[in-house]
Amino acid sequence: MDWECCWDRDVIAREDCPNIQAGDEDLLLSRRRRILEKCCDCPNFKRDLDRFLESGHPLAPAFSLIHTEYQLQKTQIQSLASFLDNKTLEVRFLHELGSVLQSSVDLEEVLSVALTAITAGKGFGMNRAFLLLIDREHARLNGYLAIGPRNYEEACQTWDEIAGNDMDLQTLAQSFRLNKLSSERAKFHDILEQLSVPLSDEGHVLIKAMDGKHPLLIEDAFHHPDVAPDLARLLGVDTFLLMPLHSRNRRVGMIIADNCITHKRITDEDMRSLENFTFPVAFAIERASLYDRLQVELSRVTEAGNKLREQQELIVRMEKMALVGRITSSIAHSVRNPLMIIGGFARSMLKNAADNDPKRDFIESIINEARQLEYVLDEILNYSDSLYPTRDMWDVNQLVEAAIKDTSDRLHSFGCESSYLPDGSLPPVFVDFKQLSYCLRTMIMSDIEGHNGGRIDISTYADGDQVVVRVRDTSVRLSQEALDALLVPFSTTLELGSGLGLALCKTMLEKQGIPFSAQLLPERGIEYTIVLPTRKEDQT
Amino acid sequence: MSRLLVVDDEANIRLLYAEELAEEGYEVVTAAGISEATERLQEGVFDLAVLDIKLKNESGIELLQQLVKERHEMPVILCSAFSCYKDDFSAWLADGYVVKSGDLTELKQEIARVLAKKAQKARAGL
Repeated sequence: MDWECCWDRDVIAREDCPNIQAGDEDLLLSRRRRILEKCCDCPNFKRDLDRFLESGHPLAPAFSLIHTEYQLQKTQIQSLASFLDNKTLEVRFLHELGSVLQSSVDLEEVLSVALTAITAGKGFGMNRAFLLLIDREHARLNGYLAIGPRNYEEACQTWDEIAGNDMDLQTLAQSFRLNKLSSERAKFHDILEQLSVPLSDEGHVLIKAMDGKHPLLIEDAFHHPDVAPDLARLLGVDTFLLMPLHSRNRRVGMIIADNCITHKRITDEDMRSLENFTFPVAFAIERASLYDRLQVELSRVTEAGNKLREQQELIVRMEKMALVGRITSSIAHSVRNPLMIIGGFARSMLKNAADNDPKRDFIESIINEARQLEYVLDEILNYSDSLYPTRDMWDVNQLVEAAIKDTSDRLHSFGCESSYLPDGSLPPVFVDFKQLSYCLRTMIMSDIEGHNGGRIDISTYADGDQVVVRVRDTSVRLSQEALDALLVPFSTTLELGSGLGLALCKTMLEKQGIPFSAQLLPERGIEYTIVLPTRKEDQT
Repeated sequence: MSRLLVVDDEANIRLLYAEELAEEGYEVVTAAGISEATERLQEGVFDLAVLDIKLKNESGIELLQQLVKERHEMPVILCSAFSCYKDDFSAWLADGYVVKSGDLTELKQEIARVLAKKAQKARAGL
């Protein structure tokens, strides 16, 4: 019998078999492999079998049966191999996903990985995914993030971009997080905002699916009895998959995925794969959320620790200051009395000395030096007092009036005129009245020493929730350098003597959180402005 | 001639006050502490008292409170080495407050002011 197929020949030429392809050349010399790999599927071989069957040989029917069964088994094996390959890919993917998720405690990163995995072609290849998270404080399931195209054109563009960059899952997720997270959130803002369901709404399909703990495929959503028409319209698809996220029996959230562009069917196999995927995702989300909370608590504890340390340092500093204060006070008492006696008796002696007495110059020197020492002592004591402000509510107009009264004699003695324009409707201010009184007196008196004439205009007025005191002094002409020097403690200017004065005012007021400014007037003089708080919480 | 009681624990300061204020035409009696001041007050009437605040282990503020309670018609001027008491509530009972200085001009002006005010009140029958 002449056979059509080449199965009976040990060696064949390439043209003897139509099934031999490039790369199959070794089969030309291997009869056994050729029969198994090529002949069994060859129509020529089938026809040879048919002729063998027609020949009436008793083995022919059995041979045909074995051939048919062999083909069936071979198909099944190929199918199983394909399934195995797919599963291997899936396991590798889940392993990669798990590695990425386990290595991250950043919620945004975890969510980026999760949503990228669902929508990437290398992942589950869904077109679109929405992530909803449980808001425990408000007992709601709220839309949080979404990924995917909103129309066909955008889908083509995105898929082209991804196809052009051969990125692994982690790189894709990082790229999404860096470049698209915000824009995707904004893009789906309208839908995410409406994807909000109270946890108490047990009839809602999202809550039902979450409580069911297993993925739920919704088909024909627009007519589905469990799906509210609003939800179907909002998503705009008739088929979508609900994947609840649970971690250790705690509800974490929900992923809604669909193929809104390709409308590819979602299979049971897809659902099983996605179910496996939701466990690590839910766990990673919960862990990242807990880590976020931990970070918040940690920063609170750190802040509290810092505050405690600051308070401890402050207490130590205050104890030191208190000691300095006591020492200063003691020195003041010990020094002022002898100074007073020296200066006082020197003045008595000067009064009784004859005009031509050669000792007058010496006595005057004693008086001047004693006076200078008294000034220094005053400033040191004032600085010591400024360390402990005690704030309360006070009538600023009364304080200003008292300061003007205290300084009026000296103003007159220097021929300086003054005016006061109070706003009678001002609320009380929250200040240390001793320090504010000192500052007001200092501002009024600081420039007039040694200068005759000039004018001081004082006014008070409200500015929002604050009260402004303005002292405008035209008694002296100063350079900016001299003014700057005046605001530095213990600096000296030729124009205004030496000491703390305005610098102490600045320090005192700033300690109370009160802005203080001293600005030169264009023509002549200085304008001082202080802005006083009217509420206790305004203090710094 | 107005009679002044000066209370200060420093002997030299008492001497300085006595000389300077006598020159101003006042009759000056001095005391070193509260008990001595109380004795002087029992011996005679004074038109005004000048008190130091720190009196060794005593407080001039206590004496001030005692005087306001028992001799409210007699004005008191506090004269202290500490400027901080000027804004202290307890010192507000006094009719005047002067920080100690070798230049007694301010103290003398304050004494004159307070005595004039007292005389004015007396004339007004208050």
